[in-house]
Order: sequence, then C-alpha cells, then structure tokens
Amino acid sequence: MKTSYDLTLNIRRYDPYQNRTWVQTYQLEAGRIMRFVDLFRKINDEQDATLAWGSSCEHGQCGSCSVRINGKPMLACELLVENAVNEFGSTTFFIEPLPVASVVRDLVIDTDQAYARIDQVKPYIISPRQPAADGEAHQISPEELDRYVDATRCINCFCCSAACIASHDTFLGPNAMLAAIVRVMDPREDEKQQRLETIYSENGVYRCHSSQACSFVCPKEIDVAHFMALAKQGAITSS
Amino acid sequence: MTSSTAERYPLVRYFFHLHRIKGWPYVVSWAHRISGVLLAGYLLFHVTTLASLRNPAAFENKMQTFAALFPIYVEWLLAVPVIFHALNGGRLLLYEVFGNRRDRLVLNWVMVLSGCYLLLLGIFMALGNQQVSPVFFWSYLALSSVLFTYMTITRLRISGASKGWKLQRISAAFLLLMIPAHMLFMHLDPALGRDAQVIIARMNNGFIKLVDLLLLIGVMFHAAYGVRGIFLDYLASPRARTVCTGVIVLVSLYFTWQGVQMIVSI
Repeated sequence: MKTSYDLTLNIRRYDPYQNRTWVQTYQLEAGRIMRFVDLFRKINDEQDATLAWGSSCEHGQCGSCSVRINGKPMLACELLVENAVNEFGSTTFFIEPLPVASVVRDLVIDTDQAYARIDQVKPYIISPRQPAADGEAHQISPEELDRYVDATRCINCFCCSAACIASHDTFLGPNAMLAAIVRVMDPREDEKQQRLETIYSENGVYRCHSSQACSFVCPKEIDVAHFMALAKQGAITSS
Repeated sequence: MTSSTAERYPLVRYFFHLHRIKGWPYVVSWAHRISGVLLAGYLLFHVTTLASLRNPAAFENKMQTFAALFPIYVEWLLAVPVIFHALNGGRLLLYEVFGNRRDRLVLNWVMVLSGCYLLLLGIFMALGNQQVSPVFFWSYLALSSVLFTYMTITRLRISGASKGWKLQRISAAFLLLMIPAHMLFMHLDPALGRDAQVIIARMNNGFIKLVDLLLLIGVMFHAAYGVRGIFLDYLASPRARTVCTGVIVLVSLYFTWQGVQMIVSI
C-alpha cells in the first residue's frame, strides 16, 4: 500500500481585479488519507498563499467546499487522495469552481447568487398546519416521514445543479426543486399551492430530463431524481 | 472490444469519462437528445419527400436515388436513432410516469432490444421479400399502442404538470411501438416503401389513412415539443422563448398540413 502520492493539481484560477482566468499547475506530495481541502491548505502554506478556496465545517455538512474535480462535482472535504486516485485512475487532477454562479475568485463562487434560486422556492414552512389540539406538537407518522426524509438531508452543496444536463441559466436546479418538493410532502405545511406553481413552472420540473446525474453525484447519497420523478408523476401531493 | 481497447478512441474515451463522473443515464440522456434532434430533422425531410406522392412518377424518380446500396445502408443506420430514441423514451416513461426505479435493468434491456431490432431490420432489408397484410399488421400494432397510451393517460391523471408536458408523454407512449413498426414495415419489401402504386393502394384504405394521420400528428407534436424543450433549456429571456416557440409551432403546423393534405388527397 502506498503511503504517499506525487500529485499534479491543475487549478482554474480567476483574478477579479485583472479579470483574468488561467490554469495554474501545482506539484505536491500528499499522504493517502489527506483530503482535497488539506491539499489546498498545503498549497497555501508551502507554495502559493494567493490561491482562494472555500470551506467551513470540513465535515461534509455545510457544502461550502464543493468544486469540480476532473469534471465531477464533489465536496473537497470528503474526497481522500487515495480514493481520488482510485476513482479517476490518475494522480493528475483538474480542479474548477462549480459553474452554478459567477466566480468571486479562484475556486470561490458567489453563494448569494447560487442561493437566490433556493430562496425562490421559500425553503421553510409558510403556513404551519395547526395540531389536533391546543398545546400539542404536530406529529408526523413514520410512514409519512419515510416518504421524504431522505430529501431533508440536502446540504445545498450545489453538486447536483453543477452535474445537471439542463442549463444553469434556466433551471432552478435539483436542490431548489428538492426544497420545494420537501415542503409539499411535509404534512406540517398547509401552503402547497405556491410551491406547486414553482415546481410546475417553465424553470421548474420541465427542465429536468431525468438524466439522474444529480443522484449520481450527490455527496449525501440522496436519490434526487426519484423526488423529481415523483413530482412529475403527481405523487407528492397525496398526503 | 473491451472497454480499455474502446477507450483508445477520443469520442469513446469522452463517453466513458462522462459515465464515470455523471453516470450512464446522463450519457444516455445526451444520446436521447441528439437522436431526437436528428429524427426531428429527418421527419421534415420525410414529409417533404412523401408530399411528392401526389405525382407518382416524380415520387418514383426520387425513390430511385434510395435504391442504391449506400442509401439503403444509410436507411439502416437511421434505425439506430429511431429504435434507441423509442426504447429509451419508453424507459423514461417507466421512470417518470409508472414509478419504475429498477432503471439500470431497463437501460440494459433498451440496449439489448435495440441490438435485436437492428439485426432483425438488417436481415429483412437484405432479404427484401417479406409479405404481410398491412391491415393485419397495423391493427395489431395500433391496438397495442392505443392500450399503452391509455395506460399512460390513466397514470398521468393525478400529475399537476402542464397539458403540453402530458401530451408529450402520451404521444411518446403512442409512438413507442408505432415508429419502429413503421420503419420495419417499410423495409419488409422494397415495393412497400418505394413503389408509388403500392403505397397509394395501401393508403386508399380508410383504416391505414387513420393510422397514418395519427402517426403524423403524434410525431409532429412530439418532435416540436421536444425541440422546444431543448431551446427552452438554454434560452433564459421570455421574449426569446416566445419567438422560439412561435417559430417551432409555425414550422410544425406547415409540415403537418403538408402531410395531412398528402394523406387525405390520395
């Protein structure tokens, strides 16, 4: 078993002050269980302090370190060097920012712009359904919860949006759709109509072509395409 | 050819890379889209060619061009997007409308059945001597297609999707068997597709006229809605979307009218 790898990282960089894009190559030796965020940090420490990248929790829960590695949208905090070498069969990696929003600098994208699509579907309860009796908490049966609990694990890392066959300019994106579908399936929510109008709008479900790339790349292993198909079928409003 | 041998070719290598980073259904989605655009283009050419049936001599003159070996090979190649688009469309119907989640298995069947169809069609084209009753052939196929269409309509009743989206799926269900059958039927015997008198005699039957009309209207709507969907994926401006929809509607109406006139006037 190899304990370290000689890696070549080709990173797409962007300088907003000069409005210049280029690809910069970094050579580095890395241990097999180092993560890609560790590689970026190692580059900052040892080679180039100007390389900008984003991360927050670094435990696969916040989705802020998403990048495209050899074309595949992934969380840089979850990808180990050894797994990447095995998956791509190479020690050379091309790393780019996600194409879902404009680039602020290097691997950092404008998250406000990306989140604007999520905001459109109002990913919160608008009109809470009243519980059966005053003072009681609303209860969801395990059967009801089973239908959509997987979808609630979405961390909005935008990997699904980046992988989707539809264009990022016209489709709200699989994660925004998922947020809308969750609230339609949620029995605690009374306001369904607004979400249904968004789901069945020209920038909604009609832009999904069931390419299932969203499910394939989802770091939380959510079958996003399954929920999109349920929406098309009309199977999200039965509860 | 093993996958490592195949990966020597740049295009194949690109497909394998796409498969690795986004999965087979993604690659198949692109293939579905490309085959759909190819078939929509061919459809307009096909209607234009058939419109000359009103002048049998001119039609047969045109058909002489397609009797040589190379055009016959090209016709067989055309069956690749036809059968793939039809069967993969069936897979999408099962996934989106009928709730099938054993999609990988169905995808494998799409490939196997496409191969079988191409082989069968190739054999019939090479033999070119098959006899079949048009009314029997189309009664059987139309009944099966109407049944599957009815099942699709039933499943789509609860969907909140737009009428256009639903009609796209309903037309897909109808065309799933009808289009591959149309292609197979036309190549059972060269006379069935190239001899103007044989075609005119067949189309004089009221039932065949009805089948041809349904086929024409179904395929025109399906192609127009599909092409519009691709444009709408990339056009963000509402004005551009309206103009694009208008152009597609006008073009499809013109060609539908050409086809209807031809079918009715024979």
